[in-house]
Amino acid sequence: MSATIRIDPTRCRGHAICAVFFSSGIELDQWGYGKIIDVELQDERALKRARRAANACPNGALVVEEALA
Amino acid sequence: MSTPVSIRPRGNPLSLGRLAQDIAREARAAQSEGIVADPLMPVGDSDAAERGVGRALVGPVGSLGTVLLSGPTAGGGPADLELHLARWGALAVDTATILDVLDSSEIDGRGGGGFPLRRKVDAARAAGHPLVIVNASESEPASRKDATLCTLRPHLVLDGAALVAKALGTSDVVVHMHRGSGMAGPLRAAIEQRKAAGFAAADSLSPDQSHTVVDPAWRLSEGPDRYVSGESSAVASSVEGGEARPYFTTSPLAVHGPSGRPTVVSNVETLAHLAVAVRLGGDVWRAFGSDDAPGTRLVTLTGAVAEPGLVVEASGPVTLGDLLQAGGLDHPPAAVLVGGFGGTWVDGADAWSTPFSRPGLSDVGAGPGCGMVGVLPPGACGLAETARIVAYLAGESAGQCGSCVSGLPRLAAALGDLARGRMRRRGVRKTASIADEIFGSGACGHPDAVVRLVRSALDVFAGDVEAHLDGGPCAGAELAPVFMVPGPRRIDSSGGGWK
Repeated sequence: MSATIRIDPTRCRGHAICAVFFSSGIELDQWGYGKIIDVELQDERALKRARRAANACPNGALVVEEALA
Repeated sequence: MSTPVSIRPRGNPLSLGRLAQDIAREARAAQSEGIVADPLMPVGDSDAAERGVGRALVGPVGSLGTVLLSGPTAGGGPADLELHLARWGALAVDTATILDVLDSSEIDGRGGGGFPLRRKVDAARAAGHPLVIVNASESEPASRKDATLCTLRPHLVLDGAALVAKALGTSDVVVHMHRGSGMAGPLRAAIEQRKAAGFAAADSLSPDQSHTVVDPAWRLSEGPDRYVSGESSAVASSVEGGEARPYFTTSPLAVHGPSGRPTVVSNVETLAHLAVAVRLGGDVWRAFGSDDAPGTRLVTLTGAVAEPGLVVEASGPVTLGDLLQAGGLDHPPAAVLVGGFGGTWVDGADAWSTPFSRPGLSDVGAGPGCGMVGVLPPGACGLAETARIVAYLAGESAGQCGSCVSGLPRLAAALGDLARGRMRRRGVRKTASIADEIFGSGACGHPDAVVRLVRSALDVFAGDVEAHLDGGPCAGAELAPVFMVPGPRRIDSSGGGWK
């Protein structure tokens, strides 16, 4: 599996919902904005959580990309 | 990479080898006439500085020499088309040769990013209907090299753009600059000269195999005069009718620009080098530099130099000390700011012998950036200078990314406190941790540049930091600024001002 998660910092407003849904992959900086721990998503579980986090972001700031097999 | 470059100029009065020989002969002639003792002759009229255009030093090859800026200059003004063609000849080259020259020359981006032009061209060639943007948005407040080049040698810039357009099979070229920069006049005049001479053949492309280089359909575009508006994604966005702010994307502009088209954004100096390299041959162009720094490089000298804003063209294995000598220094200054306001401080003694090349500068934690070299004189306070620059750069944020919006003002305040002697040791550690938090978090390189500047200041001025912690601000902190930072902007409460 090859998938990545990135954050569009121009859209992030620090709602922090992503860090709840994908706590193993996203942390918050000292001002409350999301920070991706590892751009590469390691397994299906991580991909699923990353998608949930992306769908939950009110600003659409998370970009999850899967390579075409 | 070692493919021999062959150019078969058709109707070109200068054969390839001859031009390089001519430039070399000029250097020898200048030597035999005794000019070498003071080889650098200022070019440019006295009102140039008021128009934001630097004067340029023009001298023989091998010194702080000259390829881009070489040749006759009519009355200190722009080289008109006639002079340009007399010196360089008409462009006559096929696409394969342009690509070969991009390979063998290894021309790197001169706007600050240093990205190889060949890679941008390759990425854009792979997809359909590319757009070429000539980036004349000279954002660094102290840099004058782009304005100087566009004013004195506009045809080299336009030639370079025509070559990239030919390599991409497109006729869409936009020349973009800051509003009020003074570059529109000379560039527009140059375009008119080319049209009058029949260079432009609208809606026609020259086939790859043909040696004809048709001028593209030039468009001029102007955007807001903001620091981050010169960044390539901001430029592309502005050209496509959007805001001149950097934007986040997961694919390079050369693959997927703001309108979906492959978009090659290239600095004006980069393009001018291509125009020269195609005529000289990539290897010959390379040889005007050194192994580590191919070709020549335009440098703006600023700060405590004889003539702030002076533009020199570095050729050969030049050190920072050589450049400082061109600025009238005969011994190392306190420190040197290299690469722009969003650049890096280098200790003056270390700087003197540092090669002005990417690897050489990298060894002292710096990079060539936009080619600005600024001198901090003895007695001046590097922390106070840094505080003013960081305050300016924080105010120039596009206001989009959280850590830039939240972090840069805090960094600016911290540097201000440090410069005024109002900080304790704990504050210095906190400043470093704010810098760490900001680094790598933005959509563009702006916050990272500020972080590098601050880190280099804390390192190079470590002794001053101690002195400020112990005994308050130094005497130098009270002096007039060495680096002139633009004043604060009126903030547009509607959040506009980006078009």
